[in-house]
Amino acid sequence: MPDFECRLKQYRQRKELTQEQLAQQVGVRRETIMRLEKAQYNPSLKLAVDLSRAVGAPIEEIFLFP
Amino acid sequence: MKRPSVRSTIILGVLVVLLLAGASWYAITFNDWRLVAPMDFGAYEFLSKDLPMLIALILFNLYVLYLGALLIWAIVANKRRLAETRTTRKLDPRLGLLGVFGLLGFAGFWTYNAFHQVYPFIFFLFFGFFGFFYEGKMSNTLMDERYVENKLRAELAAHRVTMAALFVTLLVVARGAIQGNLEHTLIAVLIVLSLTVALDLFLSEYLLYRYDRADQLDEGGEA
Repeated sequence: MPDFECRLKQYRQRKELTQEQLAQQVGVRRETIMRLEKAQYNPSLKLAVDLSRAVGAPIEEIFLFP
Repeated sequence: MKRPSVRSTIILGVLVVLLLAGASWYAITFNDWRLVAPMDFGAYEFLSKDLPMLIALILFNLYVLYLGALLIWAIVANKRRLAETRTTRKLDPRLGLLGVFGLLGFAGFWTYNAFHQVYPFIFFLFFGFFGFFYEGKMSNTLMDERYVENKLRAELAAHRVTMAALFVTLLVVARGAIQGNLEHTLIAVLIVLSLTVALDLFLSEYLLYRYDRADQLDEGGEA
């Protein structure tokens, strides 16, 4: 299990995006967004950058590593 | 051109097999086993009683060629679709029932005793087709990076298990003979190889499904 905190959900909600809409924007499945939001999946750098652009927040504020 | 349905292909196959079985019965009962038992084709002379068996054999071979053409067609279509949509191939989970044909492998024990033939043992490979059940459940899924990662994990785990099985088999059969008989050793190798390949095919699909889907039961929906 990846050891990090993920704030994707709050940034997504701030942008008023559904999981499905965000998934489509970054080219993944909705299940992958669910896993990301629960910090159960460690994304690739490319996906992290895509997510960061989609929700309009820096990567280091979305994914918090200890 | 419209692609033939799986159902019509299976029905056609069943008809061809029934025809072959009927022709074999006719040849055994009324034609002195001609074209069923091994015979010298160098001295073959046509008899009208051979006609049912000849027709059945021609149709059977045509059906096998048809299946080969379907396979090539499916591979080309799959590659084209993969390039366009990045989704897994569309597959009916009921195709997993093809795994039942693995039971035909047990016919090898009979053919070995009756005719000294061991090739039916490779039918144990068909047990691997039970994996279609799980592949069908993952049918038409977007292959995002998590899917690809899970697929690699599943394949690695399956390969590890099958490699361990092969390693143990090698250690056992390398001693030379099972029950002091080299033929029995060959049969054991055939069975283990067939079952190992089948296990690899099945485990790859089963573990992929498990990694990707099974843990979703506790996942919440939209928020």
